[in-house]
Amino acid sequence: MHPAMFHTAAPGMIEAENLVMRYPTGRLALSGATLTIAPGDLVAVLGHNGSGKSTMLRCIAGLLRPTAGAVRVAGEELTRLTGRKLADARMALGMIFQHGHLVRRRSVIANVLCGTLGRHRGVATSLGALPWSEADFAEQCLDAVGLASLARQRADTLSGGQAQRVAIARALAQRPQAMLADEPVASLDPEAAEEIMRLLRGLASNEGLPVVCVLHQPELARRYADRILGLRQGRTVFLDDAETVTPQQIASLYEGNAP
Amino acid sequence: MNQIDGIALPAEARQALLPRHASRALPFFGVLLFLVVLGQAAIVVQARPQDLISGAHGMADILRRSFPPDFSKIGDTFEPALETLDIAIFGTTAAVLMALPLAVLAARNTTPARPFYVLARGIIALCRSVPDLVWALLFVTAVGLGPFPGALAVSVHSIGMLGRLFSEVVEDMDMGPVEALTMAGASRLQVFSHAVVPSVLPSLLGIALYRLDENIRASLVLGFVGAGGLGFQLLTAMNLFQYRTVSLLLLVTFGIVMVAERLSAALRARIA
Repeated sequence: MHPAMFHTAAPGMIEAENLVMRYPTGRLALSGATLTIAPGDLVAVLGHNGSGKSTMLRCIAGLLRPTAGAVRVAGEELTRLTGRKLADARMALGMIFQHGHLVRRRSVIANVLCGTLGRHRGVATSLGALPWSEADFAEQCLDAVGLASLARQRADTLSGGQAQRVAIARALAQRPQAMLADEPVASLDPEAAEEIMRLLRGLASNEGLPVVCVLHQPELARRYADRILGLRQGRTVFLDDAETVTPQQIASLYEGNAP
Repeated sequence: MNQIDGIALPAEARQALLPRHASRALPFFGVLLFLVVLGQAAIVVQARPQDLISGAHGMADILRRSFPPDFSKIGDTFEPALETLDIAIFGTTAAVLMALPLAVLAARNTTPARPFYVLARGIIALCRSVPDLVWALLFVTAVGLGPFPGALAVSVHSIGMLGRLFSEVVEDMDMGPVEALTMAGASRLQVFSHAVVPSVLPSLLGIALYRLDENIRASLVLGFVGAGGLGFQLLTAMNLFQYRTVSLLLLVTFGIVMVAERLSAALRARIA
């Protein structure tokens, strides 16, 4: 992977400040979480189910609008944008979900090309045509996740790990300034999980992207992340360098009866 | 089951009673109720099995007079047969084109706003609840005899049937790719054409083909109310007591329905 291959603009800092999220049901999922991630930094977010870690990531991604607080990506305030401007801002954020979320009946390369749609808003692409002018670039993205040989295969023939790597290639095709991952290895076997974590680590170290990764496995977090954010009931319990986080600190996240 | 023997019971008592009593009593009362319903149905339809026996002579007479089918008229059946097929093809295609946008509005996960949802659901329900035969009667009155009112009737009724099934497909769709493409900065229209359409298209095609097959059968009957095609020929031949022509027309009908069914099933199997 060549340095700085996948983004035109410089990787941007992600700043999440005092995020508060109260769902319409009245549940307070997040009460004042703050996180700043510099380019090249990989932060793992740990916490019990319902600790607010996915909510936090979705607020940063602009998929949820926080009740209070601000999210800035490369200095731009995301929480105030709507419509076209929000879509433009989202392009700067590559997002990976628990499942690949690929369009199953289309080819791998077609799925990767979908990542470039934001740069090609026209009549043809609105009617279902793919921006094939980006085919070479899409193949580079596939190459970066080691799956160039599967470009013509249909997405529903892939294994879980392969699908997740294609999803990363699709996110790279956006030319992102930052990467967000929501439990990217939760439904993968250990080997595939290591592969995905290595790729995310590489994106931070080699491409200089800031990476936020919600995880369920403390052990993976300690090995791959630079820093670990521990959340419990919507509050920050700790935010420390991965090496200095103690097993006791991690255990404290999962103790007791969190909702 | 909030009540047993018309008496409201507290929740605990209900739970204690239901498993033991209900398991034996419910099937018994169920069967009894069904027999009562069936009995009144037999009285209302004036079912008289003896009429079938006394009418056997008349049936045999009609069968004798319809045999052999008058194959010399096979050439004359070509045009009405084509008309029947075309009513179905035109009606189904028009219905698919109308049902697609309606279904998107009538699916909870894709509708842009609540009023659109309610309106689309209303149109679909209206089209579906009025049988195609009734639509045909209405359109014959409006645009006159011939195949066109038939095509309109088929199309309007199909909009209702397809609209409902299409919107169910859209509602059951995997929203993952939609979320992923939204995150990738794609516009609403792009998300629709690149994430929604590829996921639902095979199911929609399958449903449309099945509808075409149903509409071919429907358009045969529509001829009876003056909407052209084989049905109209059948009615005319019946009224003129030309039973050998009737049997020929029935054979042609049988052939068309069989071929359409097989073809539609084969195509659907290929898409899936």
